[in-house]
Amino acid sequence: MTFPRRLALRSLLTLTAAAFTGGALARIAVTPRGGAAVRASGGTFDEMYRGRRIQGRPAPAGGTEVLVDGRPLHVMRCADGGFLTPIDHYQTYPTPLAATRGAVDELGSAPLSRFAAAHGVHPGGSPRGVHA
Amino acid sequence: MAYTRKNQRDLTGAERKKFVAAVLELKRTGVYDRFVRTHIEHYTADGEGKLRVAHMAPSFLPWHRKFLLEFERELRRVDPTVSVPYWDWTRDNSPASSLWSDDFMGGNGRRSDLQVMTGPFAHAGGRWTINHAMTEGRFLTRDLGRPRDPITLPTQAQLEEVMRERTYDVAPWNSTSASGFRNRLEGWAAGQGNERFRIHNRVHRWVGGLMLGGASVNDPVFWLHHSFVDLVWSRWQQRNPGAAYLPAEPPPLGDAQYRKVVARHQPMTPWGVTPAEMFDHSAIYRYA
Repeated sequence: MTFPRRLALRSLLTLTAAAFTGGALARIAVTPRGGAAVRASGGTFDEMYRGRRIQGRPAPAGGTEVLVDGRPLHVMRCADGGFLTPIDHYQTYPTPLAATRGAVDELGSAPLSRFAAAHGVHPGGSPRGVHA
Repeated sequence: MAYTRKNQRDLTGAERKKFVAAVLELKRTGVYDRFVRTHIEHYTADGEGKLRVAHMAPSFLPWHRKFLLEFERELRRVDPTVSVPYWDWTRDNSPASSLWSDDFMGGNGRRSDLQVMTGPFAHAGGRWTINHAMTEGRFLTRDLGRPRDPITLPTQAQLEEVMRERTYDVAPWNSTSASGFRNRLEGWAAGQGNERFRIHNRVHRWVGGLMLGGASVNDPVFWLHHSFVDLVWSRWQQRNPGAAYLPAEPPPLGDAQYRKVVARHQPMTPWGVTPAEMFDHSAIYRYA
């Protein structure tokens, strides 16, 4: 990916999706921070699930960045050690991968919206600056 | 003078019609979707290291009390005779309940895509388009009873068990609090299968579709559900007149919940009211 092209990318959606292209996932998999513990917790994945491409990798600020068909899905950590998504607020899953599959189970056929990426971000509480 | 919130099963045909009309008017003017956004923006899970006001936190109950009051105030601007009815799901516990009839909430979602096809909130009627949700789907969805993994609504006995709690909330003030009225009513529990989903959480899961996620306010039954949750809190307050909101003071520096939860006299976003200010609703409304 060339620098000028990168400048042209405007939306969070596109930026996040771009970070997953090329060898990004492969590189992360061999770095120490993205090592065995993260993979074992289901934090790094790239697979087809029920017709959807689901991808996950450790986020720079901690936690896991997840995409469903290239669109960001906010996976949140819970005090019980599990993870939940804005698609299903009432079930925590043991890993980000399980939470993502659980979300796909409930999604139906519609693509994710921008709210799936920015949810839970009330004024003054944004860790990622995604709240427009 | 205080107004009354009634059991939805006791509403007359005219009262049902007026409630639906007021809700549709708020939707038409865009006011309704502001409430959808507010709920979406205030869902923070309890492992995220951020302030939680609306869920997985002691202020779950006062936050939703204020949220309902704000909605009800908008409804009553449209029609001063309307209030938010409540859905006693221990009693009206099946898809055959009149709650889901065509002149009120409308029915279940269809099998293929869970789209609600009947009633005033069916997308085809032209007055209920979903604008703020976690997917780009534009129609209301429901999956009553979750047939592929069936779940039942909470029973009277299960609710009574929660009512026997004597303390409002306990540390660590989140979804793992082992006792306390708030977490028992909110419905977080350990265990296997459907045992994990209790009381308030279980109702969201039983309705399914949009009610399952952050955009649950898109289903008008959200208000009737939370009106009943608020009634349960109100009855618990009457039974336990000495049981104040906890924590009384903010968790101190060094506590894992420092700046993560709202104490009795701290403001709740987005309104700035405190839990203490939401404790007594008797001057505004009462439950029939």
